Amino acid sequence: MAETFVSMRNLKFLIYELNNAEALCAYPYFEEHNREIFDLVLDTALKMGTDDLYPRFVEMDREQPTFDAGTISVNPWLREFMAACGEGGWIGANAPFEHGGQQIPDTVMVAFRFIFGAANYSASAYPFLGTGAALLMISFASRELIDTYVPNIFAGKWQGTMALTEPHAGSSLTDLKTTATRTDAGYFNLVGQKIFISCGEHNAVNNIVHLMIARIEDAPAGIKGISLFVVPKLRPCADGTLESNDLICTATFHKLGYKGAPITQLEMGEHGDCRAWLVGEENHGLSYMFQMMNEARVGVGAGATAIATAAYYASLEYTRERAQGRPITAKDPATPQIPIIEHADVKRMLLFQRAITEGSLSLIIYCSNLIDRIHAGPAEDKERLELLLDFLTPIAKTYPSEMGILSVSTGLQCLGGYGYCDEFPLEQLYRDIRIHPIHEGTTGIQGMDLLGRKVTMKNGQALMIYIEEITACIEKAKGVEAIAAEAQQLEEALAQLQQLTMHLGGLAMKGEIDLFLADATLYLEYVGIITMAWQWLWQATVSETALADCDTEGDTNFYMGKRYACHYFFRYELPKLQGLATRLQQSDGLTLSMQAKYFED
Amino acid sequence: MKIAVLVKRVPDTTSVFKIADDNASVVTDNLKYVMSPYDEYAMEAAIQLREAGQAEEVIVVSLGDESCKETMRTALAMGADSGLLVKCDGAGPTSRGVAEALAAALKNVGASLILAGKQAVDDDASQVAERIAELLDCPHASVVSRMELVGDTLTVDREIEGGKYTLELPLPAVVSIEKGINTPRYPTLPNIMKAKRKAIEEQDINALGLDAAVLASHITVEAMALPRQERLTNVLEGDNETRVATLVKALREEEKVL
Ligand SMILES: Cc1cc2nc3c(=O)[nH]c(=O)nc-3n(C[C@H](O)[C@H](O)[C@H](O)COP(=O)(O)OP(=O)(O)OC[C@H]3O[C@@H](n4cnc5c(N)ncnc54)[C@H](O)[C@@H]3O)c2cc1C
Repeated sequence: MAETFVSMRNLKFLIYELNNAEALCAYPYFEEHNREIFDLVLDTALKMGTDDLYPRFVEMDREQPTFDAGTISVNPWLREFMAACGEGGWIGANAPFEHGGQQIPDTVMVAFRFIFGAANYSASAYPFLGTGAALLMISFASRELIDTYVPNIFAGKWQGTMALTEPHAGSSLTDLKTTATRTDAGYFNLVGQKIFISCGEHNAVNNIVHLMIARIEDAPAGIKGISLFVVPKLRPCADGTLESNDLICTATFHKLGYKGAPITQLEMGEHGDCRAWLVGEENHGLSYMFQMMNEARVGVGAGATAIATAAYYASLEYTRERAQGRPITAKDPATPQIPIIEHADVKRMLLFQRAITEGSLSLIIYCSNLIDRIHAGPAEDKERLELLLDFLTPIAKTYPSEMGILSVSTGLQCLGGYGYCDEFPLEQLYRDIRIHPIHEGTTGIQGMDLLGRKVTMKNGQALMIYIEEITACIEKAKGVEAIAAEAQQLEEALAQLQQLTMHLGGLAMKGEIDLFLADATLYLEYVGIITMAWQWLWQATVSETALADCDTEGDTNFYMGKRYACHYFFRYELPKLQGLATRLQQSDGLTLSMQAKYFED
Repeated sequence: MKIAVLVKRVPDTTSVFKIADDNASVVTDNLKYVMSPYDEYAMEAAIQLREAGQAEEVIVVSLGDESCKETMRTALAMGADSGLLVKCDGAGPTSRGVAEALAAALKNVGASLILAGKQAVDDDASQVAERIAELLDCPHASVVSRMELVGDTLTVDREIEGGKYTLELPLPAVVSIEKGINTPRYPTLPNIMKAKRKAIEEQDINALGLDAAVLASHITVEAMALPRQERLTNVLEGDNETRVATLVKALREEEKVL
């Protein structure tokens, strides 16, 4: 297997040189931290990734979890791993001290999740699903619920999950059917079914705790009638023992990839005895979920980036070693063949991967840094940063997921026939990454979120803030010779974005909402490219300054690589805006007038 | 009882090494530094003794410049209680020089047990622990793969060619540890944060009456060369079926000729 799956040099460049994570330590909430701590955390994560997770990457794919009579058996090492994540404080790393966390900034947490994810995405899902569930409880549940469940989740003894999807309610969660009935005993009785619930049942922990949405019997229809509950597989009794909660796993699904982590079908209340404890207030469930949505969606983008990054390094290593062909100008067949990395087209494939993966990671770290500044920074910045994060979230979820697939595919291509065979990790990574445009809101849903909600909210303020941030970056880049032309190009693209958005907004004003949103996914793709160009311009601005006074060969190579990847993005990817803009401007409603019946034969 | 663990900051062996223009040193830019892996086993052994109630205190001791503190923090995050950095800037002392400086510093520490890795993975000299034992006039066991403390007596197994060698040592003693004696723990996040508050005391070698130039003077490196790339002979084991499968895999994945 390939030796490298992440670059710590690049990760630290993004965390410190770009996002200045040390500055977070000036905020009271993070004052216990310093760079030495962050470095030690990341180095330890790399060690765990290298020694424990990566060696099990293939094995967890080939030996999938097995379902038998309601229980799912997973790789036995996972019990050890969950315990290690619990003892090590990794699951609750970003939670407040008072809840047993370490108040680690999200900027650092997303980075170690990225390292774990690149080493073995399936394994990394288990602990960090728990993180999301526990944080949701900490934010909205009663003290009693928190005390009962959160310490066990943070200790890696109990698995936390997010249980939303139902057979009739995937993208459209408002249509969920799981019903909660009031009792006088402080809990609700639950009846219903959930599907596709990640890690919803397995034997690496002693209990499973679902953060589940359901409708209370007399709740209003639609989004305003959804409540959030804690529903354990085994419920804790007064004497500390656990008893069955009438929640059973009825099936697991056979997936394309990401096979080391099971997804489950769950039945609640078959015997009328499934107890559910309300989190927060009745009918506020989706709004609680939404408040955790940014973190969760940025997390999906991070997972996709992690997998694509592992693919990039595996293909890089191969192209350095594989000798094939000769320079186009070398005619003598007696000369030795050259490593394929010397061929222009192979360099193109590597640059493409680098542009996608490092651009995506840059956006992920940036968004996580926004989360930290919103949480702990000055109150006067909060609203602005929140709007910016809201705007960026569908992009940070989608660009790395959709383009990550193409990036892994290109990595696979670099290996030729071996890319397609299971001796090398590329085929597995290609399967593993495919989940990311689907879960946590499909790409189609993200497109509508961006155009239908984020662009229009608060009179377009979020979009204006986004444009201001990019403009500030452009102004700085204009003074840097190696990228001044790119700065100019991005300025022109931003002008086009505004003009396109005006055009689409015009449709909405005329009440042609169907037409306005028909190509929302294309609009998301368009804004995704601009966002990446911004991240690359920013990276290049910082790395050009560093390049000017860097005196080691390694650093020079690193920063020159950044320059080339930035140029690559602007010269190969940015021009794609034109095709998208052409289509977005046409607004002829082709997909609206197309009839389902025309698809017959 | 106090245990001192000697820890060395070394380049990560997965780094790409280049020989400097002087032909007698390694280019250190862009090298990643870590705790020498054998020292991790020594650290773990010390912490386990403390956790078993057989020691009260574990102190990590290192010699070098300010940058060593980074490695010492890892040891503190694994669980050491405090650190002692014997400061020595400039030209690197020889193994003998390191042993002299550490022995001088250890005299004031009062440790009953001094643990070290069996060798450091940078120069592989395997001399410092032995020399310290000599300088402190106490017994020493090397390449130790098992250790048991009963009262003031330490029973150890030493790995020797084709077998084991069991020894008893009275304390105070110096023991250098072989890998496999335990599984070194990863630092936990709470311990990483606690490590920040643990003290690292500094002691300058001059204050110990030593001189960096003298400590570095016993050996002059004449030249360095990277090992010649030689073909590795690999004898395949197992039955025919396994051997053929291994061979085909090697031809495919390592040699990439199939
Ligand atoms: C591996 C895996 C893990 C998962 N983990 C979890 C989990 O832990 N918890 C959980 O609750 N769920 C989980 N899910 C479920 C996942 O979130 C859903 O699959 C996803 O939200 C899509 O819902 P769906 O499958 O019902 O697809 P559908 O909603 O049926 O969508 C099918 C297609 O139609 C499109 N579409 C749907 N509605 C619209 C619309 N209004 N306008 C335009 N296009 C639309 C979608 O974009 C998509 O392309 C997981 C799924 C998988 C595969």
